[in-house]
Amino acid sequence: MKIAAIALNTFREAVRDRILYTILVFALLLIGASVILATLSIGQEGKIVKDLGLASSSLFGTFIAIFLGIGLVSKEIERRTIYAIVAKPIYRFQFLLGKYIGLVLTLLVTVGVMALLVAGLAFAVDGHWTPGLLLAAALDFLVLMIVTAVAILFSTFSTPTLSAMFTLAVFVIGRLSGDLRLFAEQFAGPGLRQVLEGMYLILPDLSRFQIGPQVVHGLPLGRADVLVAVAYGLAYTLFLLLVAIGIFERRDFK
Amino acid sequence: MSRALLHPSRIPWLALALACGLLFGAVVPLQRQAPALGVAGLEDRVLLLPPPAALRVASLGFHGTAADAVWLLTIQYIGGHLTSDHRFPELKRLVETVVALDPHFVDAYTLGALFLSYSAGDIAGAISLLEQGVRANPTRWEIPHDLARTYYLDLKDYRQALHWFEVTNRLPGRPHYVPRFVARLYAATGERETALELWRAMRDTATSDWVREIAEREIAKLERELAAPAREETR
Repeated sequence: MKIAAIALNTFREAVRDRILYTILVFALLLIGASVILATLSIGQEGKIVKDLGLASSSLFGTFIAIFLGIGLVSKEIERRTIYAIVAKPIYRFQFLLGKYIGLVLTLLVTVGVMALLVAGLAFAVDGHWTPGLLLAAALDFLVLMIVTAVAILFSTFSTPTLSAMFTLAVFVIGRLSGDLRLFAEQFAGPGLRQVLEGMYLILPDLSRFQIGPQVVHGLPLGRADVLVAVAYGLAYTLFLLLVAIGIFERRDFK
Repeated sequence: MSRALLHPSRIPWLALALACGLLFGAVVPLQRQAPALGVAGLEDRVLLLPPPAALRVASLGFHGTAADAVWLLTIQYIGGHLTSDHRFPELKRLVETVVALDPHFVDAYTLGALFLSYSAGDIAGAISLLEQGVRANPTRWEIPHDLARTYYLDLKDYRQALHWFEVTNRLPGRPHYVPRFVARLYAATGERETALELWRAMRDTATSDWVREIAEREIAKLERELAAPAREETR
């Protein structure tokens, strides 16, 4: 109940944030502009609208997750409202989870708006629905859940600027971790291969949530792959939140 | 006068007016000079395009979007050279970059091979690109179909053409005329009629004016060749 109250309050606070609307407007403009670009592509209108739409939704969703996520805890500390909150009969983990769920709700709404726009534009260009686009957006949403958890983890012990930089770095590494493994397999010696393999297993592998290419080209999707990706995303998010709770519980606010 | 002009309530409007003046008085005219000075022209962008491996990393996993961007650059490159010198030295590299980023981009193989054959005159490059496409997309009929067409029309290698038409014939969604071509190739008859039918099918399904133009040019050539023996006979 307490978690729900904090989540709702965080959601209300986030939807009043100008950053959210600025990023959302840019994303919607870019998704809309894909239609103009697509007309120059010799018969590839549908592909370009879907590719650019999914990429914009994912990238701008990440910006929202980072820029709002890093302020979730640090703003409370900066405004000193955290002292009033920790003095109340509420566990710190409830506060942190409430904050996290509130931002995830905000992301659900924004990603939902972007996904519907992409699906609508793709329908207007192709003349038929591509339901896979909504599944691709749903998997992208899982990426945003992980990125938000990373942002909240860093914001429990670091400044907003450093948190933003660290979270962005984790996002970039996560997007490239598939290539990291490929690099290890192809070029690295036995020692380096073990190190890279270890990094690949521990760092978030955000590339496994990418089903955009299959959706855009109408290729079959492995149900097991999607289910494993969902399980991995939820498990990784939970792991990050538990680490964040561990750090936040030990933090001294006296 | 200056005190009245710099009244706090007027400063924002003054700043906006100066910004507009600067935009249209300096920024836009200077930007118009950019093509004349060769600033980041099309050829530069093509020549400085990083290799696919670097683009894969730089695109942060958004490989499809990166492939689309290089595809748009390829189209600009083709269009630019079609209206100027008709030379396409970078076309193969551009198309190979597109398909390295997005191996399932079927139209990049087929259209790329078409422009390599009929605009750049690089039939071997077209064949190698299409073979790469068949390996990456074994269930798509379009690529073996275009391989068969290239072997048939450009290399007159009817054995290879028959092989690739047979591959096309086994794949879902193939055009209705493919079984007829397989039969004709087995009989090894009616080469020009088959060629004409292939080009007409291409003209009717073309999504671009450039492709339609190539098809119409080849149809006209074949129709003239077909009409010539008939005129000889009437004489």
